[in-house]
Amino acid sequence: MLWADKYRPKTLDQVIVHQDIAQNLKKLVTEQDCPHLLFYGPPGSGKKTLIMALLRQVFGPGAEKVKVENKTWKIDAGSRNIDLELTTLSSANHVELSPSDAGFQDRYVVREVIKEMAKNRPIDTKGKRGFKVLVLNEVDKLSREAQHSLRRTMEKYSASCRLILCCNSSSKVTEAIRSRCLNIRINSPTEEQIVKVLEFIAKKEGLQLPSGFATRLAEKSNRSLRRAILSFETCRVQQYPFKDNQAIPAMDWEEFVFEIASDIMQEQSPKRLFQVRGKLYELLLNCVPPVVVLKRLLYELLKRLDAEIKHEVCHWAAYYVSISFQILFIVPLVDFPSPLECSAQAAYIQPPLIRANSGPVALHS
Amino acid sequence: MHIPLPEELELLEANYQDLDPPEQDPDPPEPVPPDSLPLEINGHKRPRSDTPKSPIDVDEPQFDEKRSRIVDNDDEDWLRYSTPPPQARDDARVEVEEKFVSRYASEIDGDCLPVTAPSGGDRVYVKISSSGVEERVKKLDVRAHSNSLTSEPIDALLQKVEQEAFNKALNSSSEGQSDRSLPEKPVVHEQLWVDKYAPNSFTELLSDEQTNREVLLWLKQWDSCVFGSEIRSTSEEVLSALRRHSTISQNKKQNDSSFTRKNRGNRWSNGNFRNSNNLEYENSNSKGIQDSWHKKTRSTGPPEQKVLLLCGPPGLGKTTLAHVAAKHCGYHVVEVNASDDRSSSTIENKILDVVQMNSVMADSRPKCLVIDEIDGALGDGKGAVEVILKMVSAERKSNTAKENVAKEDQSEKISKKKGRKKASLLRPVICICNDLYAPALRSLRQIAKVHVFIQPSVSRVVSRLKHICNNESMKTSSIALTTLAEYTECDIRSCLNTLQFLDKKKEILNVMDIGSQVVGRKDMSRSAFDIWKEIFQKRKTKRLRNSVSSSSNVSNEFDFLHSLISNRGDYDVIFDGIHENILQLQYHDPVMLKTVKCLDCLGNSDLMHQYIMRTQQMPLYVYQPPLAITVHRLVSQIQKPNLEWPKSYQRYRNAFMEKMDIFKSWHSKIPPYISRHLSTESFVEDSISPLLHILSPPTLRPVALHLLSAKEKNDLAQLVSAMVSYSLTYKNTKSDPLLNNLGNEVSHDVSTLSFDPPINEFITFKGYRSNHYVLALAVKQVLVHEVEKQRIMQVTIGKSEHLADGYKENMDLAGEEDSKTESAKTNNAAVSAKLIEKSKSLPYSRQCNPSTSTVLTTLDSSRSSTASVKPKSSGDTKKSFRSSSSFFDRFRKLSGKVSQDTDNAVQKATVERDSLPLLFKFNESINYQLPLDYFSSAGFRSFLCYQLPLGRVLQMLLKGRFECVISCYHRLFCYLFVIVEGIYVNVLDAKGIQIHQMFIMCLYVHGDAAEPLSVQLEKDGTWARRSVSLTTVFSIPIVAVTICRSK
Repeated sequence: MLWADKYRPKTLDQVIVHQDIAQNLKKLVTEQDCPHLLFYGPPGSGKKTLIMALLRQVFGPGAEKVKVENKTWKIDAGSRNIDLELTTLSSANHVELSPSDAGFQDRYVVREVIKEMAKNRPIDTKGKRGFKVLVLNEVDKLSREAQHSLRRTMEKYSASCRLILCCNSSSKVTEAIRSRCLNIRINSPTEEQIVKVLEFIAKKEGLQLPSGFATRLAEKSNRSLRRAILSFETCRVQQYPFKDNQAIPAMDWEEFVFEIASDIMQEQSPKRLFQVRGKLYELLLNCVPPVVVLKRLLYELLKRLDAEIKHEVCHWAAYYVSISFQILFIVPLVDFPSPLECSAQAAYIQPPLIRANSGPVALHS
Repeated sequence: MHIPLPEELELLEANYQDLDPPEQDPDPPEPVPPDSLPLEINGHKRPRSDTPKSPIDVDEPQFDEKRSRIVDNDDEDWLRYSTPPPQARDDARVEVEEKFVSRYASEIDGDCLPVTAPSGGDRVYVKISSSGVEERVKKLDVRAHSNSLTSEPIDALLQKVEQEAFNKALNSSSEGQSDRSLPEKPVVHEQLWVDKYAPNSFTELLSDEQTNREVLLWLKQWDSCVFGSEIRSTSEEVLSALRRHSTISQNKKQNDSSFTRKNRGNRWSNGNFRNSNNLEYENSNSKGIQDSWHKKTRSTGPPEQKVLLLCGPPGLGKTTLAHVAAKHCGYHVVEVNASDDRSSSTIENKILDVVQMNSVMADSRPKCLVIDEIDGALGDGKGAVEVILKMVSAERKSNTAKENVAKEDQSEKISKKKGRKKASLLRPVICICNDLYAPALRSLRQIAKVHVFIQPSVSRVVSRLKHICNNESMKTSSIALTTLAEYTECDIRSCLNTLQFLDKKKEILNVMDIGSQVVGRKDMSRSAFDIWKEIFQKRKTKRLRNSVSSSSNVSNEFDFLHSLISNRGDYDVIFDGIHENILQLQYHDPVMLKTVKCLDCLGNSDLMHQYIMRTQQMPLYVYQPPLAITVHRLVSQIQKPNLEWPKSYQRYRNAFMEKMDIFKSWHSKIPPYISRHLSTESFVEDSISPLLHILSPPTLRPVALHLLSAKEKNDLAQLVSAMVSYSLTYKNTKSDPLLNNLGNEVSHDVSTLSFDPPINEFITFKGYRSNHYVLALAVKQVLVHEVEKQRIMQVTIGKSEHLADGYKENMDLAGEEDSKTESAKTNNAAVSAKLIEKSKSLPYSRQCNPSTSTVLTTLDSSRSSTASVKPKSSGDTKKSFRSSSSFFDRFRKLSGKVSQDTDNAVQKATVERDSLPLLFKFNESINYQLPLDYFSSAGFRSFLCYQLPLGRVLQMLLKGRFECVISCYHRLFCYLFVIVEGIYVNVLDAKGIQIHQMFIMCLYVHGDAAEPLSVQLEKDGTWARRSVSLTTVFSIPIVAVTICRSK
């Protein structure tokens, strides 16, 4: 097992990074019935870890015994019958799934799953824990219709079923759902927290971790704990007695974006744009999300641009991120993003450069 | 007596004018007796190529008599009559020659007349400067073609021509058109000009000269097949001459060729003379000559591609060309049009009729099928395409078979050959379409010879139009005609219609009219390629008119493009094409403002497309074409763009889907406590690169396992556990250049071990070299072994755990066994079994603490202990086996009852086989024995064996008559269950020798892999027949066996 999985906190007490939240959650579920929850925060901040720890807190170790099922639902949607297939993880007390995998038909999934769970409500003699928990991942990728249908079912079956929603950005979850849930914001761990976790792991593994190296790992990790731990293990594998200045291998796609950025800076011509477009396609077809690419590209470009045009570049980047968000929001992105969209994005990283070039300030001076 | 010969010459002359060298090659390679040749021509060829003239047919024998009677005179006659026409022609040409003579039609502007030398087939184009010459040539043409020159001798004709040349200034249309070739003046107004002035002969064709020639060449290649070798004119020489012309490659002087022609002509007559003198000799030899002749025509054969596909925009004369060329080559044209019934069955009948049958009617010319507008009706039009494809493929198939028959037939009469072929194409088929890239034509395109029509030059069209206008006495200016031609894109049909329309209205064509409503526009949709071309290419003609009115020009252009694009419809394809091609264009854009604007347009169009698709508001599509027009305004250039069909979107999309599938299927294999934290995004963004680094540590030395230090072993164990937890392994793959680029050390073996699933592909970006370390092959192999081992152990643990639910005492039993075996070391089989068992039971008892490193170490220790025991045990093996073979004996008795006929030899072999120590290799270092005794006593065990055939396992297990469940894992890790209940089974080895008979009630083999494993055996009687499949089943290597119940 990788360290990232091995040292994942299993209970709320073991949590290092978000201790306060963990304690609050613990209080919440021990004292009273838990409400619907909405966890949101950037990737790699520990949402799912917290959710699993919470489930364990509620249901005991039984929550960890899950089975993977490929469920199919036959849905009678008025005029036609829809067959849906979705992978779910389920234990006796909870079900996890990512309804956005179903694409356009996600609303049926949401409805059917909750109905089904409400039907076979676990009977507990003590009257306690008489509910099941449904964990829905990637709620922000749900279509608007699905979110609307979720809103209704949430209320209707609230007696038998609790929802734990998990997403990256709460802004893409409708107001209605947000107001029905207890919103829990999970921040990215700070660098100090990451260092703390790394030191914890080093202690457990019996390794000497120089503090300078730990800080560097934390800095390089982009405040993603997962990345920090993985890089840590990578470094361990490559060279053990750590040195302060040991190289930390970078992510390959980031290197590639770096190349793209330098391509852009070198020359601005239609031909170059064509090459850059090809490279962007390469990234996209390796499943790197367009928004992530765009952000990283902006980051790389900002390092090299003149001060005057930074503002404009940011503006256009934001514009295109928002466009792609818009598209994401309404049509869940099961599809490959259209090339036109990407090229437009690529082109729009460029206009400021061009204007700068045409102006009195040369780019490379 | 003169009558036949002038006619002969006239025919020559006519063909001469017709630009048809193949019809008449006066210089055959082998001279042929004159009376055998004319006989053939008169008897067979003439009726086909021309309208038959009954008087001649009747007279034929007479002529022949006469000719044979006056052979000498005949020769003179030939000479006498063959000279004048060339002279006359030479006169005509010589005066022209001084002005313009060129080998290329394109070098001459204005009208030109192609002239061919009969001997070499050399061809030149001669400019016609004076209308008198033109007129005269015309007359000859028409008359020749209409075949009305039956009774006039050549000198009379020449006189007439002379006269007409003299009267050239007069209105010649009514007087000159003699006989029945053109309708009379009164009829003219009833007829559409389009029909009236449709070209009747090859020379009149307006379409591109080269295309015309290639079509003709193609048709000519059919001659040997259709007409047989009677047609001498389609000899190799002529064909090659035609070919040469169609690929203008030679550069001979025209004078030379005329010289050679004369010389050759003389030679020919000499040859004839000589041959006719040596008639008897020739007759005796004629058989041989015919044979060689025949061979030659066969070699030219029907063309490679049996179908001709003409495509081009409407109104350029495709149909006309097909008709004229076919008629010219002596075919009767049968046309299937879009308006006909084109369902598959009717069209098949029709095509078969045309292609394979000869008419019994008077018109016995062979037919040529012209399928017009084959792309027109998608649903029904396909019927025709299918039928043709079927026939062509049938032809191909039977070709080899026919080759033999053809050889036998060679000496026979050619006419007999026609009936031989059954459902194949025997007649030329010409298909005509507008859009070459129509989906219905995709398959046809591959087998057909494709000719794309290009627009005839405006000057040619205009001169023709002018001629027609003159004929119709309509007043026009050449400027107006030019504009008209440009406006209709040289669509002659629409030009003529427009002119006739105006003529009816008694209006005069003026330049202004053309832009207005008077001239109808064609409502046509063009192929996507055309549209891209229009978008990226500035039209030269438009630029010319810039001076006239630039503002109206812009709006015209806008209208034109708008209608073009909106007629096509497919906006996403159009924009895709723009998007992919735009950056490859050469346009001046130093600060990229244009590019940015264009891409902005594309982006907007894309957003709009998305919005429309989402909200289903189709009316919004009208706003798409203007975006494309904006692009046109920005980047269009005069030079021709190099366009490509947009493929990358589809390609990338497929690659993306593939990657996603890889990830999804892998993701589902990872245990949930890891996979739930691993989404696609987080995997690609954060995990993959470090994961690959971790999985290939550079510190791992490529040495054997036991040479590793404790620390390294620990590292290895960690690595293996990581791989197992992420359900990764290596597998053999063909060395892929892409993969090899990845690694720093490229192993040059054909097969390399790469990740399975191929997660390393997630970081392969084109043109990017990652600095990932790649493990040595040896290390990978070790890893594969270890991972597999680990996995099996996990699974068996899981299984036994699963099965053990009711058997708590099992643990104690196992413990007992362990202690027992520790003490009793005599029974070797038991020892080894226990050792495995121990290694198994240790993690089993500790499974709450799944630290795999401990498992590994126990395994290691157990292995080493076995190794130490082994030297001792090898001696004991046989003995112990003997002792345990009591099962076999019992079994044999049992089997003996059932099948008496088991002969001794087999039994001996069986015994031999049985007596072999049952050793299996485990990790290629230690031998294990199957612990039969142990199984008989233990209630419920699982053990590990490596690569053991299922048959062996069954055989061994059934000695104890177990009812058992064996879970078998072969290398690919799909497992099968075998439930054995008890019946007699002949277990055969791969060679089919009976290994043993077993008592098995029922054997169910359930395969996950859906291979030949779904064998279900029930009754003893059927075993023998199924033994083969049993063999395959039994030879599946088994890695682990779990026995669930014992009796």
